[in-house]
Amino acid sequence: MDFIQNFPFFSIILSMFSGIISSILPGKAAKRLNTAVIFVAGLLSLILLIYLIGTGSSYTYMMGHFPAPWGNEIRAGILEAGMALFFCIIMLLSLFGGRKKLNEEVEEGKHNLYYILMDLMLSSLLALIYTNDLFTAYVFVEINTIAACGLIMIRQNGRTIEAAVRYMIMSLLGSGMLLMGICMLYDLTGHLLMSNISEQVALLAASGEYRIPLLVTIALMSVGLAIKSALFPFHAWLPDAYGYSTVSSAAILSSLVSKGYIFLLIKIIYRVIGFEIFDNSRIIDVLFVFGLMGMIFGSLSAIKENDIRRMIAYSSVAQIGYIYMGIGMGTAAGMAASVFHILSHAATKSLLFIAAIGLTDVSGGSRKFVDLTGAAYRNKWAGVAFTVGSLSMVGVPLFSGFISKLLFAQAAVQNNGKMLPALIVLGISTILNAIYFMKTVIRIYTPANGTGSCVTFRSMKLYAVTLVCFIVLNIILGVSSQPVVDLIEQGLAMFS
Amino acid sequence: MQYIILSILFPIVAGLYLLIRKESENRKTLLLCTGTFLIISAVLVIMALCLAGGGMFTLFNLTDKLPIIFKIDEVSVLFSVMTIIIFLCAGFFSFEYMKHEEKEKRYYGFYLIVLGVLIALCFAGNLITFYLFFEMLTLSSMPLVLHNGSREAIMAGLKYLFYSLCGAYMALFGLYFVERYGNTLTFSAGGVISEQAASAHGGILLLVAFLMLLGFGVKAGMFPMHAWLPAAHPVAPAPASAVLSAVIVKAGVLAIIRVVYYIFGSSFLKGTWVQTTWMILILLTIFMGSMLAYREPVMKKRLAYSTVSQLSYILFGLAVMDAGSVTGGLLHVLCHGFIKAALFLCAGAIIYMTGKTRVEEFRGIGKEMPLLLWCYTIVSLGLIGIPPTGGFVSKWYLAQGALSSGIPVFDWLGPVILLVSALLTAGYLLPVTIKGFFPGADYDYNSLRKKEPSALMTIPVLILTILSVAIGLFPGAVVQYLSQMIEKII
Amino acid sequence: MGVNLVANYGEAVAMILFVIGFMNLLLQKNLIKKIIGLNIMDSAVYLFLAEKGYISSRTVPIVVNGIQDVEAYINPIPSGLVLTGIVVSVSVSALMLSLTIRLYRRYHTLDLDEISMRLRKEGL
Repeated sequence: MDFIQNFPFFSIILSMFSGIISSILPGKAAKRLNTAVIFVAGLLSLILLIYLIGTGSSYTYMMGHFPAPWGNEIRAGILEAGMALFFCIIMLLSLFGGRKKLNEEVEEGKHNLYYILMDLMLSSLLALIYTNDLFTAYVFVEINTIAACGLIMIRQNGRTIEAAVRYMIMSLLGSGMLLMGICMLYDLTGHLLMSNISEQVALLAASGEYRIPLLVTIALMSVGLAIKSALFPFHAWLPDAYGYSTVSSAAILSSLVSKGYIFLLIKIIYRVIGFEIFDNSRIIDVLFVFGLMGMIFGSLSAIKENDIRRMIAYSSVAQIGYIYMGIGMGTAAGMAASVFHILSHAATKSLLFIAAIGLTDVSGGSRKFVDLTGAAYRNKWAGVAFTVGSLSMVGVPLFSGFISKLLFAQAAVQNNGKMLPALIVLGISTILNAIYFMKTVIRIYTPANGTGSCVTFRSMKLYAVTLVCFIVLNIILGVSSQPVVDLIEQGLAMFS
Repeated sequence: MQYIILSILFPIVAGLYLLIRKESENRKTLLLCTGTFLIISAVLVIMALCLAGGGMFTLFNLTDKLPIIFKIDEVSVLFSVMTIIIFLCAGFFSFEYMKHEEKEKRYYGFYLIVLGVLIALCFAGNLITFYLFFEMLTLSSMPLVLHNGSREAIMAGLKYLFYSLCGAYMALFGLYFVERYGNTLTFSAGGVISEQAASAHGGILLLVAFLMLLGFGVKAGMFPMHAWLPAAHPVAPAPASAVLSAVIVKAGVLAIIRVVYYIFGSSFLKGTWVQTTWMILILLTIFMGSMLAYREPVMKKRLAYSTVSQLSYILFGLAVMDAGSVTGGLLHVLCHGFIKAALFLCAGAIIYMTGKTRVEEFRGIGKEMPLLLWCYTIVSLGLIGIPPTGGFVSKWYLAQGALSSGIPVFDWLGPVILLVSALLTAGYLLPVTIKGFFPGADYDYNSLRKKEPSALMTIPVLILTILSVAIGLFPGAVVQYLSQMIEKII
Repeated sequence: MGVNLVANYGEAVAMILFVIGFMNLLLQKNLIKKIIGLNIMDSAVYLFLAEKGYISSRTVPIVVNGIQDVEAYINPIPSGLVLTGIVVSVSVSALMLSLTIRLYRRYHTLDLDEISMRLRKEGL
């Protein structure tokens, strides 16, 4: 066994321990430790990815000396390593972009608490990506929930606490259903390790006994995870949580937290239940329909919004609908399109949130559109970044959003039954996206009279550099997407 | 090969540079910069046309199956030559005109970017490259529409944006299907749909073709998606309106040429319901556009409706799919470009010197600006279709092609509607001339002043007028060049 | 089906409790009652697990008297799962209760809809 194969385990343990240590460190030291840990975890994932591309297959890693099926396992493949790398990059950039606002909005004494929560969030995301055991997944899902709740309410005002309570309620509903599903699955199959469960499930499906309990289990787990990742109609907590929390929290929540749960759902579909069985149960159609409805309703709600951050949050609802539409198509191409969209959306949505905070800061802190007129002239970097993000969301070629839409449409054209609704709703939602994003871009570039301060590059170096990195990431995904898509397809092939 | 890339990138980079640099104190340096950039771009395009040859050039691969390809063929030559001539003329006109508008630097920046994107569209070699630059065109020409920042301008800009995005999405829809059922996405004369694909999936391919025609027809102002044109063209500054009406809408026409003749192929579409429905829409547009222009009192809006109508002349020539009519249509691309640009520049000069925007206020303008109004008269005659101007030659070929095409009703209905529209064109263009030179007995001759605009404004108008007449006097060379191309695609 | 339900009455009760807890968490207005619903829901899952682990006429899975035969003990894994679940449930309840205290100190009400209405009036 190569030394590199230990890396997933190292990255999870490293982030967890740094979280524990940060509780006794002062704010600045905790910040540096956090940055270092994310950087190291990203580096380890990169080395692992290169190694796995070299060997061309995934491997399982025993935790402790107990072999399967009694022990716990981690499994790493190209898809997992790639996702881990990407999540680390996004987390790092989001933290850099929101650093200044964090220092302003949170009291000095509580900074180290924020970084503890970040470390826990990182460890739970990595664990969700790499784990091969169903109950471990549940435990880390709960850790993720608690860390996310902390991230929302670190900025103490009435709105965030209420948003945090609503988030917890919806999340716990989902967790309860997930837990019940896991327990029933354990009861049916007698195993907790994903690979062993899938063998048993295949036997059960072939013999036809326990058909209804299996269906109920699949339904419980899917709906539970769908509630947690804010699929329509369970998205009510999203606008408040993303809209009022501090900006690095909003960026990380929208890009990473929901996507962690979706990744777990994909893992369950491929590795626990098996793709054919999941396709045969009609659950996949339910996910497809809710995805379509989410795309439309999310955009419609965004059009009605008067507050820029809530508008971006509703746009997230629509984008999560896209991902579920891709999963709901039931083909490998649809799944690859969804995974690519996870990456593309993470890059774009964080960019939008961080650019939006720059725009509101130079408009006297107000987020209403009326006050944002002409904001792009006061903060040039944020204006350009917001424009790039909007163009990517609308689906202009050269940016990552176009490639996502192209992949979704190509997947839809291959599947005969669901082709027409998918293409029509894709078209309608593109137009709706264009309405609210381009309206905002025009507004921030309309010259206004007088009010608001101007900022120069000198006062916000880190912020400007972060924005440039995000834009470059977006354009790389948009222009040279083929290697990424190939890696995703390779990863999905070795996923089960 | 490098010249193709240079001719596309140079204007775009120059435009971006103008947008980013600080406001300079001296207006002359800005004008000098812009003028130099325009001339260099034109030179690069000509060098590309002469030196690049007919091969394909792949810039990079967007995904495995979607490369970005550039290729120069006869259609590219036609459209790019027209583009640079009109851009140069309107550019030099705007040096004088923009004195009374603000934020010149932004205008020139986007002007250059639009030039680069248009050249890229002319040189695009496959559908995905075309689509990429088509979207960029909408985005980069929108600031030209929004330039003066008034509420009306912003509403017009938003309308332009939404119509264009809807149209582009409909075209993209078509792209997916062509990729799946066609041989390739590269433009090939005669179409990329193989025999078996045509018979197996004929129905859906026809539907897709129609959708693409509608989608690209938004840009070309075809009924029923023309509503953005009369809103957006008048509200932009006059040289920008000239460029919008004369060149940018031709991008829609270029798109339709590529879709009909180089992707689906005229043999696939001839005689189908797509052709019939398309022709009905076109004839409706021709008539309706002229009618609405006739009744419109604001000069620039009248010219915008005229564009709607004239573009459909070109589309009519393309829809009939006969050698003669396609020649007529392509000739009209050139003629209408020069004529409409000259018309808008004249209107702009009148607004600049006198501030008058409505047609009824133009009485006596011929006494004040004789040279300008003579040019206006000559190009109007061209648009109506009176020999020896270029407009006459193109309309002759259109009518002749329609009559000899053999399509059941449209071979006589088409020329009839063309005739009616020509009468209406005379009705909406000539009153300005007549009232301008002969204002009538009750006109106050004492308030006349010589207000001929400066050379920078009159010379471009003169150049365009001379070109439009030259095509009428010496059509042979152009027609011969076009006939080589048309043989391949009919 | 009736025979199966009666034979597995423990699991049936667990399911009913789960639904009661779920509905309370979702529909109650009072925050404390929501938290109670959460706890009922989690306890229902533990009951389910415990029922599933039990094998009749066998004893607790702690080795006594050196009897190491697997046949003598019930399934130990569900007990482990229940322990983990209890820890999770306790942390989450603690978090929810502290959030409730914060909200109560600010707005002096435990009704979530009331709080939302006041926030909208505050116009934050």
